[in-house]
Amino acid sequence: MFMHVFSYRLKCLIRDKELVFWTLLFPIVLATFFYFAFGHLTTELEGFEPIKAAVVDNEAYRRNTQFRQVLESLSEEGKNQLLDLTLADEDEAGRLLEEGSVAGIITVGDEIGLTVKQSGLNQSILKSILEEYVHTVNTVSSIISKNPGAVWQLIGDIQDRKTYTQQISFSDAVPDTMLGHFYALIAMACLYSAFWGLRNTIDVQADQSPQGARRSVAPTHKLYVVLSDSLAAFAISFLEVLVLIAYLAFVLGISFGSQIGYVLLTCVAGCVAGVSFGNFIGTFIRTSESVKTGILIGSSMLMSFLAGLMWVDMKEVVARNAPVLAYINPAALISDAFYSLYVFDTHRRFFINIGMLFLISAVMCGISFVHLRRERYASL
Amino acid sequence: MQVFKAYFKVMRGSATFLAISLGIFMSLAILFSSIAPKTAADKFEPTKTPIAVINRDGDSQLARGLVDYLGKTARVILYPDDEEKLQDALFYRKVEYIAIIPPGFSDAFTAGEDTAIQKVIVPDSTSSHYVDMSIDRFFNAVRLHRLYGGEEDEASLVSAAMADLSSDIPVTIMSSGAGNDGSPPPESYYYQYCAYALLAMIITGVSSVMITFNEKDLYMRNLCAPLPKRSMNLQLAAGHGVFALGCWGMLVVGSFVLHSDTLLSSDLTGLYLLNTLVFAVVCTSIGFLIGSFVKSTGAQMGATNVIALGMSLLGGVFVPQSIMSKSVLAVAKFLPSYWYVLANNGISELSATFGDYLRPVFGSMLVQLGFALAIFAVTLLMSKEQKVS
Repeated sequence: MFMHVFSYRLKCLIRDKELVFWTLLFPIVLATFFYFAFGHLTTELEGFEPIKAAVVDNEAYRRNTQFRQVLESLSEEGKNQLLDLTLADEDEAGRLLEEGSVAGIITVGDEIGLTVKQSGLNQSILKSILEEYVHTVNTVSSIISKNPGAVWQLIGDIQDRKTYTQQISFSDAVPDTMLGHFYALIAMACLYSAFWGLRNTIDVQADQSPQGARRSVAPTHKLYVVLSDSLAAFAISFLEVLVLIAYLAFVLGISFGSQIGYVLLTCVAGCVAGVSFGNFIGTFIRTSESVKTGILIGSSMLMSFLAGLMWVDMKEVVARNAPVLAYINPAALISDAFYSLYVFDTHRRFFINIGMLFLISAVMCGISFVHLRRERYASL
Repeated sequence: MQVFKAYFKVMRGSATFLAISLGIFMSLAILFSSIAPKTAADKFEPTKTPIAVINRDGDSQLARGLVDYLGKTARVILYPDDEEKLQDALFYRKVEYIAIIPPGFSDAFTAGEDTAIQKVIVPDSTSSHYVDMSIDRFFNAVRLHRLYGGEEDEASLVSAAMADLSSDIPVTIMSSGAGNDGSPPPESYYYQYCAYALLAMIITGVSSVMITFNEKDLYMRNLCAPLPKRSMNLQLAAGHGVFALGCWGMLVVGSFVLHSDTLLSSDLTGLYLLNTLVFAVVCTSIGFLIGSFVKSTGAQMGATNVIALGMSLLGGVFVPQSIMSKSVLAVAKFLPSYWYVLANNGISELSATFGDYLRPVFGSMLVQLGFALAIFAVTLLMSKEQKVS
């Protein structure tokens, strides 16, 4: 009996093309847009490239051999290249700066100076490079004043600057902020499973639809009906989220870390939460179907927004200012579960997220159950 | 006038959706304009990268000297020595660099052994190079003093190095015509986001009414009414026009409410308004296209969302065009929203002297009108064929 209701429910749901669009195609299309709009933003925005600078080619510059050598060695092509230097006369350099093709102009006169158009990271690095030269000159002169004999050794030693940093990593994850958008998108897709849950409750309540009325008078036990309906909704939404994840991972190359089992568990928890959310709205709120759909769209959008769908920092802002909200918002829990799988080596935070998701689902299912059981209608 | 009146009666059906779109847009506009950068630079401010310094080396002078020095060249944010919190902070860029002074670092350093500060960074990011430079500079200065300066104890090494590192080089800011720090003014962001609001509202409104009027039975009944078809179409067109103008008007009023101080005094306001009006025409044409071919409300919602979000995301409404990848931008040229944003950026970069700079702005507006014209023409042609068949 159970299988019978289940399989027919599956067929019913999957033939609802509109819902298939919203729950499967829409997230995929949105993911594609996201990918093209800012998929590579982190590398393009933050990645280091040698800084373009112009140097005014005047008499003073040509005479200052040391400084010239330093600049030349910094612009040598290779792994340690910091500068991309252009020699130009004063007018030419000014024009290059004005049109934005160099970040700053280095001038050598009585002292070394820098001209820029605006403050910024590249400009600050230019300043820092020039200061480094000035500071080294300071060090050398202060040492020579104390210990004149060291001059030759010292000059030999300056050539060989040591680096004093060593990159380590807490985990293998590259901290790419843009991943947050995609994790929030999966959260949105999971929450959209609520459409299937809502559709189920419409089709099972006698005052909501003719199907509901017919099914209410059928001799099948209500619990069977509700359970098999929910299972069908879950099966479809889980499959859809898997398709989305596969698309993200294999077509767009979004990274989820290497723990595939936990990723699947997150999808299960997300879809369960989504379907229960739909059940909850369908039973708890008693209005027309279109208003319920509106509430569903609005609330899932709001939750996804708070989880960082449109603005990735939002999730962090919420977690800092209203931590409770982060623990009861299913979208935030889902995206945070993906995030903690990707970033952390430990699973404590991951399991808190998953646990909260199941807890919230249980509460919503419980409320829908109370509303659905023993319903009596005066007239149908 | 019946058709024109009926137009707005039908429109009332989508009023809730339109109000929600407008409400969401306005709240986002307020949110974003409140966080938009408002720095006007007349003097150079070196960037201070947010970093976290974790000192596991106890209370040594050298470690404390480094923290002091980094406090001057970067923005040190206090974090506990907790990996999870630090990783969180790095992922969301609360800090861009985590420097860990390992245990025994100062002893190894003063003994002349090879040792290093451990760093956790966004690999190969520009800001990490910037902080690397500060750290290397500090330790190289200390090293030279230790080797050749005859200093022995850590405190005097650190103070000698700090003295060397304190001098500054002069930075001049070359004033550009625009007289700002290069980031567009907040009202420009408002008009940029307007593209999404206009797309969502006008497409939904126009297509909803058209779907109703194109319903088969209703359409056939209207055909046998004594009202000439031309008059009916003209009234519908007038309805579209008035509705689009209304949406545009509401957004314009919103812009004056939020940015009245700058907009009322700026010469550029007229150009911003013209550009948005041109884009409203494009949106109307898209609404007309969808309304002519889509039959159900569900499909209409799907098409509207995909088009509005797609055009906004790919055209550079949500993500600035200057940082989008070149290949995406090349494709985005086929979207009217690209030209809208291009014109909007062009306007925001204009300064007091207009002259030749206006040409590209008007060019982008003309391209938008071209899109609108093309979409209208294609729709009319195709819908005529459809109706004949």
